[in-house]
Amino acid sequence: MPGRPSDPGSEAVVPFSPEFRDPVVYPVHHGVRPPLLRVYVAWSRGSLLHLACLRQPLPEPESEDSVDEGEAGGKVVEVRLRAGEEGISEAHRRRIAYGSVPAFALLQSRKNSLMAMSRMSSSLLHGEWWQHVLEYSKNISELLGTRRLSSNMVIEDPRMVVQPSEEPTSLKAAWELMEIFYVDKQSLTWLPERLVDWSEEYDSLLTRTELTIHSKLVNMQKKLANVKVVEDDPDYWEGMSSALAVGWLDIVVKLLRFHGSYQLDQLDNRETENGLVEAVAVLVSTMPRLRPDPSSGKLGQFCKTRPDFIKAWEKWRGHLSKLERSAFWVQCSHDRTREGLQKLLKIMLGDISNITSATCHWMELLVSHLLYIRQFMVGLEGLNNLAHKCRQLKPTVHYNGLMSLLIGILEESPEVVLAECSKTFGPWMVAHGIELLTAGSDHADILLHEERYSLGGISVEELHRLVYAQILSSHPLTCQIAPTYLASCPKQGIGLLENLLYKQPIQHHQVILKNLEICRLYELDNISVNLMKIAGMYNWKHGRRGFGIYWLQLACDEVRLNRIAQQLFDCIGKSLSDDSFKQWEGLLELLGTQVGSSGGLEFLHKYRDFKRTLKQVEDGRASNAARQAAESLMQLMRSPSTPRQFWLPLLHDSVKLLNWKARPLLSVSEMNLLLNKLQDLSMGKLMLILTAAASLSALCISGRKILNVL
Amino acid sequence: MAETGEYFHRFPQSKSVDAVRWLSAVSAFDRFVAAAVHDPDASSSAAAAAIEIHSLTLATSPLSPNIGEPSLHVRSSWPSPSRISALRSSPTPHKHVAVAAATLSGSLHVLFVDPVDGSIDSELSIADRSLHAGLVSAVDLLEGGRECITAGEDGRVNRVTIGEARLEYRRVYDSRGLVSYTAARWGSPMEFATGGLGFGVQWWDQRKPGGLVSQFRCNWRQDKATGIVHSIDIHPSRKHICMVGGSSGTIFAWDLRYQQQPILLSGVGHDGRRVSVSESEVWEVQYDGHSQSSSVTSASSAKILPVMICSEDGILAVLEQGEEPTELLVEPCAINAFDIDPQNPSDVVCSLEWETIGILMRPRESIIA
Amino acid sequence: MERELATLEKGAICCAWNYCGLRLAVGFVDGSISIHDSLDSGSSSSAFPSSSSKWKAHASSVLNVVWAPPECGDAIACICNDGTFSLWEETGEDTEHPTWKLCKLFESSGSRVLDLQFGVFSTSLKMVAACSDGYVKVYELLDPLEFNKWQLQAGFQNVIDSVSRFGKVSCSSASIAWNPQKGEGQRCSFVLGFSSDLPQLNSSKVWEFDEAHQRWIPVAELALPGDDSDMVHAVAWAPNIGRPFEVIAVATCKGIAMWHVVLDPESNGRLTTEKVALLPGHDGEVWQLEWDMGGMTLASTGSDGMVRLWQSNINGIWHEHASLDCSGAQS
Repeated sequence: MPGRPSDPGSEAVVPFSPEFRDPVVYPVHHGVRPPLLRVYVAWSRGSLLHLACLRQPLPEPESEDSVDEGEAGGKVVEVRLRAGEEGISEAHRRRIAYGSVPAFALLQSRKNSLMAMSRMSSSLLHGEWWQHVLEYSKNISELLGTRRLSSNMVIEDPRMVVQPSEEPTSLKAAWELMEIFYVDKQSLTWLPERLVDWSEEYDSLLTRTELTIHSKLVNMQKKLANVKVVEDDPDYWEGMSSALAVGWLDIVVKLLRFHGSYQLDQLDNRETENGLVEAVAVLVSTMPRLRPDPSSGKLGQFCKTRPDFIKAWEKWRGHLSKLERSAFWVQCSHDRTREGLQKLLKIMLGDISNITSATCHWMELLVSHLLYIRQFMVGLEGLNNLAHKCRQLKPTVHYNGLMSLLIGILEESPEVVLAECSKTFGPWMVAHGIELLTAGSDHADILLHEERYSLGGISVEELHRLVYAQILSSHPLTCQIAPTYLASCPKQGIGLLENLLYKQPIQHHQVILKNLEICRLYELDNISVNLMKIAGMYNWKHGRRGFGIYWLQLACDEVRLNRIAQQLFDCIGKSLSDDSFKQWEGLLELLGTQVGSSGGLEFLHKYRDFKRTLKQVEDGRASNAARQAAESLMQLMRSPSTPRQFWLPLLHDSVKLLNWKARPLLSVSEMNLLLNKLQDLSMGKLMLILTAAASLSALCISGRKILNVL
Repeated sequence: MAETGEYFHRFPQSKSVDAVRWLSAVSAFDRFVAAAVHDPDASSSAAAAAIEIHSLTLATSPLSPNIGEPSLHVRSSWPSPSRISALRSSPTPHKHVAVAAATLSGSLHVLFVDPVDGSIDSELSIADRSLHAGLVSAVDLLEGGRECITAGEDGRVNRVTIGEARLEYRRVYDSRGLVSYTAARWGSPMEFATGGLGFGVQWWDQRKPGGLVSQFRCNWRQDKATGIVHSIDIHPSRKHICMVGGSSGTIFAWDLRYQQQPILLSGVGHDGRRVSVSESEVWEVQYDGHSQSSSVTSASSAKILPVMICSEDGILAVLEQGEEPTELLVEPCAINAFDIDPQNPSDVVCSLEWETIGILMRPRESIIA
Repeated sequence: MERELATLEKGAICCAWNYCGLRLAVGFVDGSISIHDSLDSGSSSSAFPSSSSKWKAHASSVLNVVWAPPECGDAIACICNDGTFSLWEETGEDTEHPTWKLCKLFESSGSRVLDLQFGVFSTSLKMVAACSDGYVKVYELLDPLEFNKWQLQAGFQNVIDSVSRFGKVSCSSASIAWNPQKGEGQRCSFVLGFSSDLPQLNSSKVWEFDEAHQRWIPVAELALPGDDSDMVHAVAWAPNIGRPFEVIAVATCKGIAMWHVVLDPESNGRLTTEKVALLPGHDGEVWQLEWDMGGMTLASTGSDGMVRLWQSNINGIWHEHASLDCSGAQS
């Protein structure tokens, strides 16, 4: 069945996979004129693809006009596929990736040590764990962007109500949502307030296409700058009720103070009006709020405990209704002010129709409900039902990733949450967010930690870490942090790390050393040996023989080192000019004596010593050098380990000593030994004799000369 | 982590920072740092590598009234044809500061930077393969900026004269690949040291035939015999001692007067005992003039002067003979290079693996103390 | 999303990337080979600007180029359509500019070489070549330092019944994939399939080297009874980073089949195989199959000019995850 996934036999247990949609088709712009001969593909770093599009060789057109780009034989392109995380630059993404490493590593090490401890007492784990996760979550959150400064902290334009500060990112918004619902156990008791804070921060992200209170206020602010009498403008009142509906009290109070009745010249004739405005402002700013932290710089009276809050709430509601029923309203001559203020009171009193009309987005309506109607909402089920109702009242055409994530959270569906994280926010979010998800519910914990045969025996959590590590390894700069994540994968992480290290380029020693350091940290001795062998071969073949031998020695690559020794042996046996002497002398130095079980190198070292002294003799230095040379010559000739192939070169060298003017260096018996060797050789290969005829005759002549003398 | 009174500032760069050097400044308020950067995402390979001249300014803020809050801004940038592997700077007798940079492809470039506004006024280079075949691992500028040495993996050691209009080089030695050099440092206008594989250190004297005067190869580790020298420093007052940093946290002082007895400051000793500040690669060593005055009572003391090191496992520390190392930074990523400001030895610039330049400011009071 | 890395000269007919993706070898119609290098390959993924070297390797068109594993240095095999193939390596004496040199030329012996792959093992390097007469030849490198000393270790036809011999076979293409697993104790095995006029030869078979008897034996056939004569276009053995089973992809005219192969020691040497998926493929010939380094995503190319990426979901169901349209229709 073309186009459909195979094997529909097994029924999906988890409705997680968004995969059954048709695959995304990305056009590749390579500029090669079709028809194509072939397309070649290769995986480069991580999940990076290299494509080579080769052009069909056409029968040569005779004319040589216009050799344009399309006429080339083909193009090679690099393709980077990624999902989600839009709106974040590549460099910022990397900064987030780096920054999250320490937090992630710390959490993993804590997890490991707690696991070790929990074998003794299992209760310990759950009690403490969420606090560690919370700390982790806060660290990550900080990394994703700094919180906007509270409005009273900064010196500002008096007419500015909405900060035109740095655009918050959806990524941070999503992270905080997960933190609120999954990690921060304390926040569950003051969930409404946390959602108010959240929506204040991220209201602009709820939708890009439709109106939000944030965008409404921004528009109003622009307009008010040119309006003299703000209270005549319906947008002024509307903006205020919207801000109040979602609990942005400081904005409301600030806007109220723009009211014309505050102006000194008007204070006298608008006294009542001003009194009413002020009364509402006071009530707004004294709204009781159930939140533990009064130092947030927000308006309202803060209650730490529920009984305190209930008491304060009742009292405050009393003031509200008293003001609503007050007789002063009749004396308020400015209609817009009266209606506007009364609407504000109605919102505070929890009037559904006013709340509904004051809010734009369903999330805002939800927050409004939580603030003024359902302050004591607990449990996700109720919240989800309420959210559902709000969505019906304020339907949205298009749910963006952030909203889909929120719905997934409210519906308590870790599968949806994971899928949304992956789709909208990418692999970083999934790999890091799973920690929050599993801390939040046992269901998710089991779901994500269960090992599945279909995944090759790993859990969903591990799968996502592997995927993230592969994304990290797609970039040469983030590649080095992939091991941290792979190390946290119990089953397949090390396997992937090995493959990753094996694919690293080895041209420069700093890069090799950095990779070897990773091998050392994760005890991958096999891989480090392999890398050193590869580096050794590369350097050896590319003329850096010293470096080549160095790496092969570190890798204890006896086979190759022996081969090098053997090569050296063969090469020296053949011929030796002064120039190459220096070269092989250096190589010999590098190889040392340990290498080579055959003992060949030991011989070469002796041979080297002999050649050195011989060189001194040639340079005409002291006669004791000549004496020494003669001695080592005889040692070499007598030694059974001296290979036959070296006899001739040695005999050749001996001529120089025989010709030593000062005095005879060799005794009769030594001479005889040399001549015997010569005889031996002559009985061997005839060719050898022929090629060395000259040196042989020289030896014979000098030999006879010496013998004659004696 | 850092002791109290130390300020560490991170400046993310969104590209790899391969090397950093202070440029000697005219003004104490406007100082310059040269950084060798590399951006693998650059659209063309020609735009990938560069030398950037950053200006460091200190602004006092209410949060730190005593020490100015530093900020770093790019003043000028010079695109390099290839990624930079080594960087050094030195003031010249003329108005300029010379910055010498060597590359992975074997070229050498000398930039002349205006110490007042940080602009790059001129550049000289040897760009073909004649100088080095492949990676130049080390470059060092002679005080005064008229000459530099380069050493490479290809086994060549060159002495380059920096003229008015061109660079001229003379090959000091060519091992033709038999020996690879990974570090180089001037000792005097006539002498310099190089380092290489197997913790090898070579001492060269231009006045001697052949140049090579003495060399050292480590033999204190019996097992996997060797490591690579990454950095050498020589103190102007003690030219007979090479301070060497390399693999496996090894830091030792090689005294030309006692060539067979290097003094091990960190690493695995003869007896297999490990005294080390780090177990990974030590990328750079420099004598730390700031710690010096506080600890060594007399300059003539036989004690090794304190040195600062940075390592692959993220440590920036000061080592003193016979004392526990003082860790200034413990970073989660490698510290690839650092430089102590010769004019203000309390200030250190370093390059972190995570695309960041770090500025460490140590309290200056300790000089008096 | 995409970034241009290089422009290939006219007449380019095949190409291959080296182990780390920084070097590209290209074969040409006129028998020459060029190598494209990424600058500053130290740790960047910068583009391959232009070829760093180009030389004439054969008198007639190149059929395929294959990189040798990095354990050999930088070396390639070049298969020519006249039936010969040659081995080349890059060397530099005394750090002079490295050059490509011919290591060995394998003359044609009546049949043409269709595909060739290197397998690296702790003690040796092997090279397996599939020929147009249905024979497989396994060579072994005798000297790890020299890339020119090869010994023919074995030669056999790709049939389960090892006794029968088939003459007069004509194969048009072959595909070989070594078991990519490295390290101690791994089995020396590869999978091979043919496109030929002899049904018995075609189906992909897993061959394993029997150390005890020093011979190659077929340990599994990756084809169901009705499909065993299908011509095989491409095979790819997935890297295994810890799965209890191996995954091998086999492309035939019917599509891309995913096989699970369990190396079960209790089954008398035969492997347990299971075909877990048949993916639709490319509506025509599949040119190439390529696994990513984790063995989680398979990339395929085919005559429809598409690159398709295949993944298994968390229930083990294979599906097309994304595709890249290279047909050039949009240019």
